[in-house]
Amino acid sequence: MQKPIPVPAPGSQVHWHLDAPYSLKHLLIIAAILIVLILTGQRTEMDKMVMMTTEAAGKLLGVADDSQVVRGLSRVATSMWPPVFGETEEISRLPEFKRDQLPFFAHVEVQERVEQRMNSETLQLEPHSESVEVLVKPVGYVVTVFIKMIETLEIALWGTIIAVILSAPLAYFAARNYSPNQASYTAARGFISLLRSAPELIVALFLVLAYGFGPIAGVLALGLHAAGFLGKFYAEDIENADKKPQEALEAIGAGKLKTLWYGVVPQVLPQYIAYTAYILDRNLRMATVIGLVGAGGIGQELKGRFDMFQYGHVMTILIAIFIFVFILDQLSARIRNKLI
Amino acid sequence: MPDRILKGEAMIHFDNLGKAWPDGTKALSDISLHIPRGQFCVILGPSGAGKSTLLRAVNGLMHPTQGLVRIDGTALTHATQKQLRRRIAMIHQHFNLTSRLSVAANVLSGLLPVVSTPRALTGWFRSEHRRKACGLLQRVGLAPTHLKRRAGDLSGGQQQRVGIARAFMLDPEIVLADEPVASLDPKISRDILTLIRDAAREQNTTVLCSLHQIDLAREFGDRIVGMRDGKIVFDGTPAEFTDERVSALYHGAHWEDPPKKAEPEAAGFELAHV
Ligand SMILES: Nc1ncnc2c1ncn2[C@@H]1O[C@H](COP(=O)(O)OP(=O)(O)OP(=O)(O)O)[C@@H](O)[C@H]1O
Ligand SMILES: [Mg+2]
Repeated sequence: MQKPIPVPAPGSQVHWHLDAPYSLKHLLIIAAILIVLILTGQRTEMDKMVMMTTEAAGKLLGVADDSQVVRGLSRVATSMWPPVFGETEEISRLPEFKRDQLPFFAHVEVQERVEQRMNSETLQLEPHSESVEVLVKPVGYVVTVFIKMIETLEIALWGTIIAVILSAPLAYFAARNYSPNQASYTAARGFISLLRSAPELIVALFLVLAYGFGPIAGVLALGLHAAGFLGKFYAEDIENADKKPQEALEAIGAGKLKTLWYGVVPQVLPQYIAYTAYILDRNLRMATVIGLVGAGGIGQELKGRFDMFQYGHVMTILIAIFIFVFILDQLSARIRNKLI
Repeated sequence: MPDRILKGEAMIHFDNLGKAWPDGTKALSDISLHIPRGQFCVILGPSGAGKSTLLRAVNGLMHPTQGLVRIDGTALTHATQKQLRRRIAMIHQHFNLTSRLSVAANVLSGLLPVVSTPRALTGWFRSEHRRKACGLLQRVGLAPTHLKRRAGDLSGGQQQRVGIARAFMLDPEIVLADEPVASLDPKISRDILTLIRDAAREQNTTVLCSLHQIDLAREFGDRIVGMRDGKIVFDGTPAEFTDERVSALYHGAHWEDPPKKAEPEAAGFELAHV
């Protein structure tokens, strides 16, 4: 018969014992967390949020009579619907217009235009109709949005390129075991923190003042912020890289840069690619937003239309961004599967 | 055994070398040793005896706290270290290859101290250098198909062959081998040591090799140095390294005569000072 391993009698051991898993300390921690949640929740009006959302749900289910949230949303929805796909332009205002060379899908239409005009005799406003020739491009605005979307992509791409170029030397100086001295290390780390602490949108705001409206400010804003991120992570990988190949090269006196290039970079390259891919992904998303402060891309178009109350156009842009991000998610998931 | 290998002019001088780590460990104390050019000197001793520390003093990977190392008469200092390191190759227990880099690139990296930075960064090595790498890889028993393989994908024995090829790229005057066969099987261990010894003999290279295998030490060493607790407790030819000496070295027991003074005398290691 099998003999069980004897269990020591309670209280018989002096040196070995396992505590019960919970103690007063854990209760105190839970109480502290609760207090913090209640305080911060009140300051951020979380109670009101829950109330308003419940009200909205009630309204949708036909229980509540009124909801501020539903009213606001439906007002937005009605003014944004339908999305605008086409564009019409008055031919008399198109200096380059050629009747035998119409753009794709476009046709010329005669439209009646009614205007209120002052009758010089009666001094009264009278409706006055006039027929104008217009060029109708049924998907003209879709094309415009598409081109802006491509610009957005390009901003993200160049933002990433700038980030990689800037972060490579930064990482060298910010890696404790490669930085030439303490001063260069501190300076590089400080600069990285500075870059990381400045949000893209705010940096872009200032860069627009420096470089004017358009993609330059966007590219630089994305690039600078991401350079901080990449610099930090590249540097940490250099510091944590396997020391063995580095020692082999140090032993023969290869010099720091060559040791880094032959002993470290090949080892950390997979992580570098992963970080850079993450930055590209992040920049693609940020590039859609950064135009809100005038730094180019689809965001700038969105801001322009929004300010002119052209909510139909805004809707088209939002649809485009949604499709863009959706495709991006699919692609990045697929690429990630390939890489790993 | 040619006499000069045992008694020749000293290539490496350890003069009263001592090393105390910041935590107080005395890894080396008062080591004085002269190693003639072309000698295959095996260092034996239990773990923690200070073998690695001693080897690393030769190329300045470890800075002694007392005494100094001279190579061909030149004292190893911060100023001379860079020049001296080019003449000293190292073979490591864990091969220390860049595992994600190709075999060819690993071997060529042995040239890095003499290759210009642009060439190094672009990997555009001179054709004679590339031929030399191929020749060495052939010599250590690898096939042309291995050239483009990732070093980390090779077996341990193959990786150490790459390590040897890398070490000999710069025609070193000294090879430091720190337990080069510790993680290899007995047959391959012998092959690897044969490779190191033959290549070294051909070029009259001095080898300082730490080992844990007594039989290999006796077979390959021109000379055996036994270390224990940072001190030299045996210094003689393989023939003098009897089984009693072995057990004394590893168990620290029966030392009949104080070896530190007796052995070098008996072995004829009193060297002509330069
Ligand atoms: N970086 C270090 N800091 C502090 N102590 C160290 C350091 N490196 C080695 N030591 C100590 O120095 C002593 C000698 O170590 P060393 O590595 O030279 O031994 P070894 O003879 O090579 O041993 P093994 O056969 O296990 O490789 C040991 O006591 C070790 O703990
Ligand atoms: Mg060791």
